[in-house]
Amino acid sequence: MNRAETDRRQWLRRLLLAGTIAVLTACSGGEEPVTIGLITKQETNPYWVTLREVAEETAEDDAVHLLIATGSSDVDVDSQRTALRDMVAAGARGILIAPTDSTALVPIIEAIRKQGVVVIAVDTPVKPLDAVDAYYGTDNEAAGRLIGEYAAAKAAELGLKPKIAMLDLAPGISSGAARHKGFLEGFGITEADDALVAMADTQGNRALGEARMAEILVKHPDVNVVYTVNERAALGAVTALKAANVDLGKTIVVSIDGGCHAIKDAVRPGDIDATAMQFPENMAREGVLALARAARGGAPPSGYLDTGVELITGDPAPGVQSKNVAYGVRNCWGD
Amino acid sequence: MTNDTTSDDGIVPPHLRAPFILLILCFTAWGAAANLTDVLVGVFRGIFDMSNFQSSLVQFAYYGAYFLLALPAAVINKRFGYKTGVLVGLGLAALGGLLFLPASQVLVYEMFLLALFVLAAGLSILETSANPFVIAMGAESTATRRLNLAQAFNPIGANLGVLMGAVLILPALTPEASKVIMTESELLASQKADLALVLKPYLGIATALIVIWLLISFRRFDLPRPAAVPAVTSGNIASRLWHNRHYRYGVLAQFFNVAAQTCAWTFTILYAQDVVGVSPESAGWWLQASLIVFLVSRFVMTWLLGIVPPTRLLFIMAVFGVLCCLTAMFALNVAGLVAVVAISASLSLMFPTIYGVALQGLGDDAKFGAAGLVMAILGGALAPMLHGAVMDEVGAAMGYVVPAICLALVAAYALYDMTHARPPAIAEQALPEQ
Repeated sequence: MNRAETDRRQWLRRLLLAGTIAVLTACSGGEEPVTIGLITKQETNPYWVTLREVAEETAEDDAVHLLIATGSSDVDVDSQRTALRDMVAAGARGILIAPTDSTALVPIIEAIRKQGVVVIAVDTPVKPLDAVDAYYGTDNEAAGRLIGEYAAAKAAELGLKPKIAMLDLAPGISSGAARHKGFLEGFGITEADDALVAMADTQGNRALGEARMAEILVKHPDVNVVYTVNERAALGAVTALKAANVDLGKTIVVSIDGGCHAIKDAVRPGDIDATAMQFPENMAREGVLALARAARGGAPPSGYLDTGVELITGDPAPGVQSKNVAYGVRNCWGD
Repeated sequence: MTNDTTSDDGIVPPHLRAPFILLILCFTAWGAAANLTDVLVGVFRGIFDMSNFQSSLVQFAYYGAYFLLALPAAVINKRFGYKTGVLVGLGLAALGGLLFLPASQVLVYEMFLLALFVLAAGLSILETSANPFVIAMGAESTATRRLNLAQAFNPIGANLGVLMGAVLILPALTPEASKVIMTESELLASQKADLALVLKPYLGIATALIVIWLLISFRRFDLPRPAAVPAVTSGNIASRLWHNRHYRYGVLAQFFNVAAQTCAWTFTILYAQDVVGVSPESAGWWLQASLIVFLVSRFVMTWLLGIVPPTRLLFIMAVFGVLCCLTAMFALNVAGLVAVVAISASLSLMFPTIYGVALQGLGDDAKFGAAGLVMAILGGALAPMLHGAVMDEVGAAMGYVVPAICLALVAAYALYDMTHARPPAIAEQALPEQ
C-alpha cells in the first residue's frame, strides 16, 4: 500500500468518524451526554416497570446514560443501599430513587449528596424531606379527596344513606394515611361520623382485601360505600362483595392507583366505580429531565413536584370533574 | 391538440409517457392526503382536548368537500378540458396544504377544518379530472388497464400518508399524561409544538403538489383523438335510473360502503388507544396494517371473483365485516383490534363490486349513473360523526356498531341482487316489439 493510498484511507476514516459524531450529536439534539441512575423498589409490580420504561425512553431521547437498579421487594433496603454506592462509583451525577424505607436510606443519601450527586426521591418521600434535593410524587391526600368527593356525590345521586367501609394500607405508612385522610375530607365526614361503620388494614393486598371485606359484610351487610387504599385491595373487596351477592349497582367502590388491569377489568365494567389515577410516567420523565439538566450545569431540582392525579370513571358523578375510561386506558400503567 | 394512436403503442403512447407519470404522481398525492386525514382525527382530539364527535368533523370537512366539488369539477372538465381541471385541482389542493401554516399559528381548530376543506376540494377536482384524463391518454382498448395502473398508485400514496402520520406526528406528540402537571403557558407551548408536527407533512404535500403543478402546466398533452361517441339513449335518464332498484339500492349500498370504510379507518387508532391501551406511535402501525390488509385482500378478491359470483362474494365479505365489527365491540382486547384491522379485508372488494353490479345493464345510462355512485362518498362525511357521537355516549368499542350496520346494509343489497331479477337491459328495452 503506497503513501497516497494510506493518506486517503486515513482521511476517509476521519471523515467517517466526523460523520458518525455529527449524526450522534444530531440524534441527541446536541445535548452533552451525562450519566444518571434510577433505583426502583422491585420489578414484579407493573407500576415500577412502567416507571423504569418511561425513564429509559426519556433518557434515550435526551442523550442520558441511565444506570438502572432495583430491589427484590418493597422493603429491600440493602439492595438500594448497594445500588446507591455502585452508581456513584460508576459516575452517576444524579440519582432518582424510590426509597424502600423513608429513614434507613437517609444517611447514605446525605453522604452521596455531599459528593455533589443530586438525589430526587420518587413516589415515596424520605424523612426528613430535605434529606433529598427534591421529591416527585402523587399528592396522596388529593387522590383520597377526589374519590371521597365522588363517593359522596354518587351516594347522593343514588339516594343512599351512606354506610362506609374503609380498607386501609397499614399503620404508620404515610401514603396510606394521607389517602385515608383525603377520602374523609372529600366525603365531608370525620372518623367520628356514624356513616363510617368499619375500617380494616389490607396491606394493599388483594387476598387481604377480600378477607377483610368479607368480615365487614358479616357485621355490616348494609355497607354501600367502600373505600380501598389501592386497586389490589379493591379487586379483593369486589370479589367479596360479589360472593356475598351484594348489588354492585347500589354499592359504590372507589380506589386509587390507575393500573391497566383494574381500569380495563374493573373500572370499565363498573365493578370499581371510580379510581384516582396516579402517573408514575410523570415521576420518571420529569425526574430524568431534571437530573440531566442539573448534570449539564442547570439549577438542581428542589422542593416537591406533584406528578398529578385524575379521577377515572365510567359513571361520572354530578359536580365532580372526572375523565372517562378511554382516558384511563390510554394513560394507565402496566399492561 | 389530438393525435391518433394504435394499440401497438402499448398502454400509453410514447409521447404521453412523461405526462402519464405526472398524473400517477397525482394519484399518489391524493391517496397520501386522504389517509393522513385518518390519523388527524385522533391527533386533533388530543391537541384540542375535544370529544370524538368534534374531532370527527375532520372527515366531514374532507369528504363533504369531495361530495360538493364533484359536479363543479365535471363542469370545469367539460368547459376547459382535463388539463385545466387537473391544474385547478392541484392548485386548490396545494393552497389547502399551505393554509395549515396560518392555522398552526392561530391555534384554532376551525382553521384546520377550513384548510382540510380546501385541500379536499382541490383533490376532488383533481380526482374527477385525472381519471378521465388517464382514460383519454391512449387507445380505448387499453383504457381500463391504463386506469388500473394509475389507480394502483393510490393505495401506495394511502400507505405513505399513514406512514407519515405514524413516523412524523404520532411518536412526537406531547404525552397526554404530562399535560396533567403542565401550567397554562406550558400547555399552550405543547399545543403549538404538536400543531407544528401536523403542519410538516401537509407542507410537504403542498410542496409536492406545487412541483407537480409546475411540471404539468409547462408540458404539452397531445391527446389521441377520441373514438366516435355513440348516441345517447333518449328519454329521461334520471327517471329510468330511479326506477331501477338494482341501481337505486346500489347507490345506497355504496353510500354505506364508503361510510363503513371511513369509520373503520378513522377510528382504528382511537380504538387501539382507547380500548386496548396501545401507545400512540404503535396505534399508527395498526392503521398501516389495515391498509396493507386492504391492498393484499384486493388482489385475493380479484382472484376469488373469477370463481365466486360477485354479489355472492360481496354478501359473504359483508357478513364477515359485520362479524369483525361485533368482535371489535365485545372483545375489548387485542383480538378486538385484530378484528378492526380485518374489517379492511371485507371492504377491499366493495367499491368496485358495488360499482359494477349497480351499473350492470344500464347501457349508456351508466355514464350518468356513475356520478350517483361517486357522490355516495357523502357516506364518508356523515358516518364518522355518528360513530364519534356513539363513542362519546357509550364507549369507544361500541362505536363500531355504526360500520356494523353499514356493512349489514351492504349485505342486504347483495342479497337483494341475488334474489331479484334485473329489469331488461337498456339495449333490450330499446328493441322494437316482435
